[in-house]
Amino acid sequence: MAPHWRVGGALVSASSIRIDQVSKVFAGKTALESVSLDLAPGSFTVLLGPSGSGKTTLLRCLAGIERPSAGTIAINDVVVASDRGVAGPEKRNLSMVFQDYALWPHLTVQQNVAYPLAGASLSKSARQSRVAMLLEQVGIAHLGERYPNELSGGEQQRVALARALSAEVGLVLFDEPLSNLDADRREQLRIAIATLTRESGATAVYITHDQSEAFALADNVGVLRHGRLVQFGSPETIYQRPADAFVARFTGVAGELPVASWSVSNVESARVVVALAGAPVLSAIMGVGLTPNCRATLLVRPAAVSIEHELSENGIRGTVRDTAFTGRGYEHVVALHDTVELSKVFATERYDRGSIVSLRFDVHAMFLMPTTEGSLP
Amino acid sequence: MTQSRLSRPDHWRTRLGSVTVWLVLLLLIIVPVGCFLAVGVSPKLFGLGPQWWTWSTIRSTFTGYTRKGMVDSLLVSSSSAVLAVAVATTMAWLVHRTNLWGRRFWSAAMWVLMLVPTWMTTLGWIDVLQPGELATALGWHSLFLYHHFFGPDGIIFVLTTAALPFSYFIISVGMRGLGSEFEDAARVHGASRARALRTVLPIIAPALLSAFAISFAESMSDFGVAFTLGSGAHFPIATYVLFNAIYSFPANFPVAAVIAAVLILSTVPPVYLQSRVMRGRSYAVLSGRTRGVRRHQFTPWARAGVTAGVAVFMFLVLGLPLTGAVTSSFTNTASFLTPTGVHWTLDSYRQIFNAPPAFTALGGPLLTSNELGLLVASGTVVIALVLAKRLASRTSGAAQRIMDSFLLGSVAIPGIVLGIGYIFFYDQRFITQHVVDLYETLPLLIMGLIASATPGQARLLTGPVAQIQSSLSEAARVHGASRWRAWRTTSLPLLSRAIVWAWLLTFTKTISELAIAQILYQPGHEPVSVTIETYLGTIFATIGSAATVLTLVEMLGVIVIVLTLFRLVTPRGWRRIGESVVPS
Repeated sequence: MAPHWRVGGALVSASSIRIDQVSKVFAGKTALESVSLDLAPGSFTVLLGPSGSGKTTLLRCLAGIERPSAGTIAINDVVVASDRGVAGPEKRNLSMVFQDYALWPHLTVQQNVAYPLAGASLSKSARQSRVAMLLEQVGIAHLGERYPNELSGGEQQRVALARALSAEVGLVLFDEPLSNLDADRREQLRIAIATLTRESGATAVYITHDQSEAFALADNVGVLRHGRLVQFGSPETIYQRPADAFVARFTGVAGELPVASWSVSNVESARVVVALAGAPVLSAIMGVGLTPNCRATLLVRPAAVSIEHELSENGIRGTVRDTAFTGRGYEHVVALHDTVELSKVFATERYDRGSIVSLRFDVHAMFLMPTTEGSLP
Repeated sequence: MTQSRLSRPDHWRTRLGSVTVWLVLLLLIIVPVGCFLAVGVSPKLFGLGPQWWTWSTIRSTFTGYTRKGMVDSLLVSSSSAVLAVAVATTMAWLVHRTNLWGRRFWSAAMWVLMLVPTWMTTLGWIDVLQPGELATALGWHSLFLYHHFFGPDGIIFVLTTAALPFSYFIISVGMRGLGSEFEDAARVHGASRARALRTVLPIIAPALLSAFAISFAESMSDFGVAFTLGSGAHFPIATYVLFNAIYSFPANFPVAAVIAAVLILSTVPPVYLQSRVMRGRSYAVLSGRTRGVRRHQFTPWARAGVTAGVAVFMFLVLGLPLTGAVTSSFTNTASFLTPTGVHWTLDSYRQIFNAPPAFTALGGPLLTSNELGLLVASGTVVIALVLAKRLASRTSGAAQRIMDSFLLGSVAIPGIVLGIGYIFFYDQRFITQHVVDLYETLPLLIMGLIASATPGQARLLTGPVAQIQSSLSEAARVHGASRWRAWRTTSLPLLSRAIVWAWLLTFTKTISELAIAQILYQPGHEPVSVTIETYLGTIFATIGSAATVLTLVEMLGVIVIVLTLFRLVTPRGWRRIGESVVPS
């Protein structure tokens, strides 16, 4: 049975989601291809992918705004989309925060937030107090009488969040809600989304192309590419065991090193030994799809690289090309030779441009992947 | 796993909607007009000649009087459209991009100008210029102007003033959207003021072309000026020649059909050129990030001078003809100025409600016209909204492009062609005996007027409909609203102002419409425009003037009432759409 949560005095039943072999074709172009997902009630799932990966289409299919070309979607074990037809968005007991906020410009903030409560069996005073409570929670209680065009972008998105939470639905969808905001407001609103949505107890599906946003919010992350679900798992799994080079690259690499030769050192722990051209031998994690004698590339996470002044025995010599102060330290771009650079190499002290340094590598954040496997679109 | 109540696939709904829409367009426009045009090459189809197929009518139409009428029409319409666009561009620039005084007033005056039909303007001018009328009373020597007025100059002048508001409003939208950043970008990259202007103007080229296409189509299809001015001017223009071909004895329908085809086809080049330049985009929105416009600041003296110039111009195109009609209506003598001076009287206003023998009093026709206006405006707005929604749809299929082109072309169908097409189709024995007999009934007139108004209104409403982001109604749906509630609570409020103006425009145009009304009115229930026309050119012309003035006042009264009601009845949020956004 789906868990129930108490929010604002009401019982909220979180929705379970089953997406089974869902495809969507727009005028001959495949936007989604046989995507299957099971989302537990009350979970917070982030769909991560670049533009054109199909994440928005999947979210809109889930919302009932788009109709899947094939496959089945079930919410709480009730089929809402299949080849027999679809249930309209209003019949799915869900709400949504839109990328462009989608606030109705002719309604005040209070009226926007109260809109989903129209069908609820609530008295007028209960409705008003619920709206007031939500506005208080998202920090805009003083703006209730204003119209959307009298608010800043961050305030508008807070209204959209309050509206999405007002009807106490089982499923809340987020369509890149932070993409139009500046860095400071993004962070504030991200925290509001994470806390308030979890407090509501609803199942959440959130889409973004920002991996740091995805990792910060998600219980589970689904990575999409070219309409296919490439990997689904916890943020830690995605980061530490990327399914392929695309996932590794999309979730952040400092750079890629050309491999002269490699061999498996430990099958059980999936370790390989990698020989780089003109450099010492390194250990790395064996990526999926590696076959004996296939050409391979070493993908290095920023966290795998540390920087030292003196050339150590197992270190690799490099030249600092650029240094950027980030507040808590410095990020460096280090050239290993003319064609290979590693970026986001962090150190608490500053290494000046042009200085010769030694780089050390951590086996746990380096992946050997087949060279032919995908690149970022 | 259980199954939710699933709706039928969307494509069924879409197909059903498409079939219904095309069926309505077929019955309202395509079949009636098509039947009439077919007579031009196949007289036997409707029993009007022995041949199933002939080119002879086309050949004969392109000779003599009819040829001259068509050439004259092309010349005056081209000239009027060019002039209207030039004047409208100047006016739009002055109102929207300078510190001209009374900017709201001049825009309101343009609305009034749009509401005044060409036949009213023409009659107003005759009341001013005719020897013995207002100009003579004021001591002006107007005979020279009067002779010119009854010729191409007068026709071009009236058609230009009629097309001016359409051009003005289209170009205004372009001017308002043309943020100062485009000009700034040109200037900071070294362009002189003149070069910056040359750089920026092409951005509003689609609006200019749109304005030209609509002005040309309006001028080509105008019947009011042809009927009131062209008839006495010895300068035949196509719509009047067409009218003559039908109402002469014996009627020559095949020739009328060929002229109608020429009128419609003549609008294809400008409409095609415009649609090529537009390439499906709206001239209404250039960029979501466009900055507000920066107004050119005239010096105080220049500002006063330019404002005075605009005032004089607007008085000439609107104030003077209205003054002519009003002053004429307050006399009942053969001319405004008599040997014993001007005799002011309210006789014409009394007589209009107590008509002379063989004439109709104003009350009944005015009531009929208002009923017509109410029904036609309401029907048109509903159909036009459905069409606008389809035209603004994000999926740009072949059917959508065909409908877009069809509606653009249909704007140019003269009312007289629609009227005669209706008689041709709906008076067919097969229709009257086996389907429905609508001949000489009010419903047929209502259908004709809706058919005439729908294409233009659909095009006008497409802009506002297209500007509503789909996410607004999607947000309503995902927050529990049904399809109907989503439309009623999100789209309708955002479109309310556009709908009200479309309704008012159709209402007033229906009341003043002459061509279709004259052909299709139900005997005993003549609309006011037909009644007024019967007075003109008779010794009771001043009664016609009084009727004209009262009709215009009544139309303006309805506009004021409807706008006041809109203000009183609608929530505050509905009326504040489009206000400036606080930057984040």
